[in-house]
Amino acid sequence: MNATIETNNLVKRYGDVTAVDGLSLRVARGEIYAFLGLNGAGKTTTIRLLLGMVRPTSGEARVLGTRIRVGDKKPWDSVGYMVETPDAYPELSVRENLEAMRRLRPGAEPKAVERVIERLGLIAYADRRAGTLSHGNAQRLGLAKALLHNPKLLILDEPANGLDPAGIVEIRNLLIELAQDQGVTVFMSSHILGEVSRLAKRIGIIHQGRLLQELDVDELERNRRRRLVVRTRDGQAAQSVLLSAGFSADITSDGAIEVKDDAAIERPDDIATRLVHAGHAPTMLNVEQEDLEQYFLRLVARSVDEGNAK
Amino acid sequence: MNNIAQAIWVEMLKARRSKMPLLTALGFSLFPLALGFFMIVLKDPELARRYWLISAKAQIMMGVADWPTYLRFLALASAMGGFMLFGFIGSWVFGREYSDRTVKDLLALPTSRSAIVLSKFVVVASWSTALTAMNCLVGLGVGAAVGLPQASMQVILQGEVTVAIATCLTIALVTPIAFFASAGHGYLPPMGVALLVMFLVQVIAQAGWGEYFPWSIPALYAQGDNLGIVSYVIVFLTSVAGLAGTFIWWELADQTH
Repeated sequence: MNATIETNNLVKRYGDVTAVDGLSLRVARGEIYAFLGLNGAGKTTTIRLLLGMVRPTSGEARVLGTRIRVGDKKPWDSVGYMVETPDAYPELSVRENLEAMRRLRPGAEPKAVERVIERLGLIAYADRRAGTLSHGNAQRLGLAKALLHNPKLLILDEPANGLDPAGIVEIRNLLIELAQDQGVTVFMSSHILGEVSRLAKRIGIIHQGRLLQELDVDELERNRRRRLVVRTRDGQAAQSVLLSAGFSADITSDGAIEVKDDAAIERPDDIATRLVHAGHAPTMLNVEQEDLEQYFLRLVARSVDEGNAK
Repeated sequence: MNNIAQAIWVEMLKARRSKMPLLTALGFSLFPLALGFFMIVLKDPELARRYWLISAKAQIMMGVADWPTYLRFLALASAMGGFMLFGFIGSWVFGREYSDRTVKDLLALPTSRSAIVLSKFVVVASWSTALTAMNCLVGLGVGAAVGLPQASMQVILQGEVTVAIATCLTIALVTPIAFFASAGHGYLPPMGVALLVMFLVQVIAQAGWGEYFPWSIPALYAQGDNLGIVSYVIVFLTSVAGLAGTFIWWELADQTH
């Protein structure tokens, strides 16, 4: 079996609330898997289920080949994690927080603390009390704790939270390097599709506890809708020309014409020719791909509509 | 249960770096200091009134200013006030993981949760025992400083042993507080429980059932009541129930904080 994480029909209910609903997913070794969803979609509950912090109502999760049971010690010597907010003991320094965590991980060598301090860019803050760190540096400390023992699997809840743009790029490169060079599997949650699409190989989209879609990044590119955006000096007249030619042309809120027909997207030059002949030469013609966030929201909205229809 | 020594090291580090040891030591020192004050007053009430240490109407009903009285009241204060202070330590050691939201970092480790819970209890017990030792020593110092009349070594030793045993019985009864700190996810629920317990101690002791209510037993022991074996068994069982409840909670309950 090559899956680092595998869940089968995982369900978690709190009273009447179903936080995770029949989740089956598979994360291969060395893969960066992004788990995407809005706030409250069930991402953190899934992570807690994977880490044995909460007991599933039904179904099962396997991590590194071990069936997860609440309170078990396996397989945590090979797993690094960060759940929700990156909290630390406020009165302990960054170095002491890491040393405390290192001692609770018997496999981690004494030098590991200095190694992760350097790797996460925390040298200047090593002796500073954790309670005085900025949100970004607290996030770095959380990631440093997860990396202390050279884990085979990283489970990270919103790892880019609180980081500045340079920090986001730095952490992204670090995770890519870990996956590519050391074969570390990364399972990360996020609510920003644009962010994870630059990093993850595979994306799972969760909404209201259900896995809506699981796809490769290449598939994501293909699934995103494209449209042709046209501007002319007289938008309404140009729209009439396109409508009479059988295209579904709409005027957008900023006055441009939007055409979604494949024929128009594949051959925008034909549209230009048609408009020129009608006396409405385009001042702008552009094939645009659907924004990642729009794609994500469209998928979520479709799921809500389907749910309502049922 | 592996890695227990390292887990204890970690818990000790957290305790050392906090202000709690200092605060609880100061809190505990108040017992012998306050009793020392009352002993001064008892020795010469007229002098105390002249220097405005007490008001003209004050009636101190403690008996005479001597070592047996002083140590008996020290044992009583340690049993009653000690519960609040030891309860505070137990609430902090367990509840801070929830209040600081650090508990999640302790739940999926190669060090078992039971090892972490045990190390926390070891720290609570060591910390409380150190306070008890300090209380006995400060008690002796204050007693000598206020010039209590000479007493035999045996009387003083007997009084100190009573203080130590009453305090140890109290420490044993803190384990349910650790459970409420864990199940209540923070400091406040266990402190609320501790206050409720103190209230019940008063009511139940007045009703005459104190020897069967766990948290009344150390105070009755301090007062020199002749307790039966049942009372000690009740203290033991309450302590074990608190320990078991805390271990089970950490091992088996859903951890959503």
